[in-house]
Amino acid sequence: MPSSALHQRSKAAEYLEGYLNKTLHVQIADGRTFVGQLKCTDNECNLILAMTHEYRQPSEAAVKLAADRHEASREEGNVKVDMKKRFVGLVVVPGQYISKMEVED
Amino acid sequence: MSAGDIADEISQLAIAGEGEHNGVGTAAERVLRETRRVLRPPIRKIRDVTEEFATAAEQLQPGQLVKDDFFTLFEAVSALEIMDPKMDSGFVPTEDTLEPDFDVCSDLPAEQVLWIMDQLFCHLAAWHDGYPLSQTIFTSLHVDRLISPDNHPPYLLHRSDLDNTTLSSGLVHHVLRAYCLALIKSCALVLHTVQSQNFYEEEDFVTHLFGRELLPGLSANDQTTQVEKAFEWLSAADIETKLRHALDARLRFIVTYLALLVDARHPWDDLLETIQGVAKSHDLCHPLPEAFSEKVQRQLATSTPPRPMLEVSWDDATTKWKNIANDVVEAGRLTIPAITQDPHCLQRATWVFAYRDPQPNTFVRAHMQTILFGGERIADNTTFFDLMLTDIRDLVLAGDPLVDLDSFQIEVPSDPRHRCARIMESFMDKALDEYVNIYRMVCQNRCRIRRTFTQAISIWDGLETEAMRTDAELQHFSSSLHLDNTYFDPLLSWTKLYKLQIMAWTFQLGFETDIYLPDELCMMYWMLAKVLHQRIRLLESVEHFLVERMRSLNRKRDTRRLAECLASQDYLRSLRLQAEATLSLAKALWPYTEALHRLHLISVPRRDYADERLLYEARMKPFLSVTNDPLPDLEEFHEDPLGAVPLNEVWGMIDVNVKQAKSTLGELKKVTPGQVKCVGTEEQWKREIKKLETTCVAIAVQTSQLKRLAEQYGKEQGQDLSDMDLAPFADVSIPKPEARYHLWWPVPQVKERKK
Repeated sequence: MPSSALHQRSKAAEYLEGYLNKTLHVQIADGRTFVGQLKCTDNECNLILAMTHEYRQPSEAAVKLAADRHEASREEGNVKVDMKKRFVGLVVVPGQYISKMEVED
Repeated sequence: MSAGDIADEISQLAIAGEGEHNGVGTAAERVLRETRRVLRPPIRKIRDVTEEFATAAEQLQPGQLVKDDFFTLFEAVSALEIMDPKMDSGFVPTEDTLEPDFDVCSDLPAEQVLWIMDQLFCHLAAWHDGYPLSQTIFTSLHVDRLISPDNHPPYLLHRSDLDNTTLSSGLVHHVLRAYCLALIKSCALVLHTVQSQNFYEEEDFVTHLFGRELLPGLSANDQTTQVEKAFEWLSAADIETKLRHALDARLRFIVTYLALLVDARHPWDDLLETIQGVAKSHDLCHPLPEAFSEKVQRQLATSTPPRPMLEVSWDDATTKWKNIANDVVEAGRLTIPAITQDPHCLQRATWVFAYRDPQPNTFVRAHMQTILFGGERIADNTTFFDLMLTDIRDLVLAGDPLVDLDSFQIEVPSDPRHRCARIMESFMDKALDEYVNIYRMVCQNRCRIRRTFTQAISIWDGLETEAMRTDAELQHFSSSLHLDNTYFDPLLSWTKLYKLQIMAWTFQLGFETDIYLPDELCMMYWMLAKVLHQRIRLLESVEHFLVERMRSLNRKRDTRRLAECLASQDYLRSLRLQAEATLSLAKALWPYTEALHRLHLISVPRRDYADERLLYEARMKPFLSVTNDPLPDLEEFHEDPLGAVPLNEVWGMIDVNVKQAKSTLGELKKVTPGQVKCVGTEEQWKREIKKLETTCVAIAVQTSQLKRLAEQYGKEQGQDLSDMDLAPFADVSIPKPEARYHLWWPVPQVKERKK
């Protein structure tokens, strides 16, 4: 094995280690985003996240309900609908579904 | 004061300080700056690393992991895999929608409203039974809307729903909504009761709320008002009478249930009536399965995979509800002052409660604990301390001034009664927790009763040492107090009596919970007999000293104390008889199981890695730490003379002991409830004796069956009894607990094989 490849590999591992225990925001194909601390990854980019929360865009029905409530309350201003958030704990996000990955610095 | 308020205050201070050059202004400004920095959430910088992360990951070798050193692969196993339909509770299949299509605000006919209410009634029973809310009540879409995090008091299904006035919308928005709100509130109250007492999470009950709150903004009182409004609306509504009655019955059920949870002193008999009212009109329901959906789990906080919604049959649910109501009623009946004032009556009552069939559920057991331990006092004028003092008096010190309540009131330090009372108190303080535990442990689930007993044994063993020391101190001070030299070690005896009792219970609960293998039964019966031997000897000695004390009281003509002694004498005798009956049964089953071994009907399975000593240690673990009068070791078991008794004499041994047990039980039947201290539980006491008698019969029947087979095949095969193998001709089975005559006494059954 050429030594440059070996060198590159250890540099890659070192780079990835820098992300361990950092908070990642991982978006997957179905639109959900997982926010949790990176505990483990491999060459397929599978991620194990700890203390993870799942965020999801509110459904149309939820937006409509919020709009109705807002109207009924006769308050001024724009309707605000939060992302649906829930705690899911320790999860594996398979690399194949990841569409976007961000890190909190 | 909120974070913003603090910042404002300080900025006021900073402004006030401006212009003054005394440094106050500067300091305030600095404080303000720092406070703002601390209070303002840090602006998080987020950086897109999709590409570079993926490129770096690609460089890794297959199988190479980059992982946190403190994160173990063992933990990794419990991680849920996202997008795996079996693991990911948030996974939505492509052809599916995230949320159910059902609109909870839509109008419903009364029949469907009834169905939803009854379905919730079933779910509530299942939750009581130990299933999580996510699989039961939370699957109701109406409930889901009411507890949704963005819903606030007054918790409407919809912002504008109260404007609706039509019948079918009123049914949903007034009646069903009120029912759901009351039901959710009831869950909060049940949780409070359960969590305030001893219980075992997941094992007994799941308290998890999955990130939801149970209507924090609504008190139970507000709640009752809501239901009352619903009643009102219903009475004015233009609706068929039988439907109105049916809806009314359900509201009545939930509001009664809620009221009982708010104030436990209400009679739970009322709930039974309302359950019957609900059951009568269940036929009117029209199913509306769309009103419930597992899809709600997609939005619940959980670290478990999705789980199916529970299906509970109507009959099951009504039975469970009736059990709950009856159990609570019984808990009240078993804790009336006549029972709680007497420690031994109360102990019997807690056992009776625990052995209701089926065993009361977690909530009711927590309710029982609340009655017993919720306040400072167990009855109006009895604390646990008083209860323990009465216990000591009734068992070992009847008629002795040491346990006079008056002695505890004396404040003159030179009075020996004062000094003795302080010494007694100091011992009782040390023993109190463990003593109270005797009552509390019995309110746990059956396996836990046994398990906590195994832990209690060594504690009581330790208390014995404490008791010995206290007895010595007492003897020193009390010579002037006592009438003569009839002093013995009262507290040691008391402690030992309890220790031996708990040891015997541990064995017997081991039989009930089926923890002994068939080849272990023989030794366990033998050990149980040893414990009872010790207990009987001890009871005899306590009785002996009591008689001595009575003699001297007689001389002094102290009738009050004499009466106390007589009652204690009766009770001690009944305890001894009970121990003797248990001993005889153990001594009958021990040779019986020994015979089964000899005839090869019970054989020791091949165990490659276990030897007899290890097995002994594993099984006897709870008892090995006992240092005062330890149980016999393995050698002693093997040296028992029974081993040398020929089989044709073993039958006789079994027979003698069965006869002995029967006659002792006969004696016990003549004892009055007051003497045996089963006031309030007389029925169960009679039943207990009956069950033991039936067990005697079962042992006799099985023995004669075994004897017949042994002799018959011995003759046919020309085999000697001492080396007979019955295994090809007969089978032995250990009856399951429900098939036993008494849960604590499994009598192995012999069945001849068909030729």
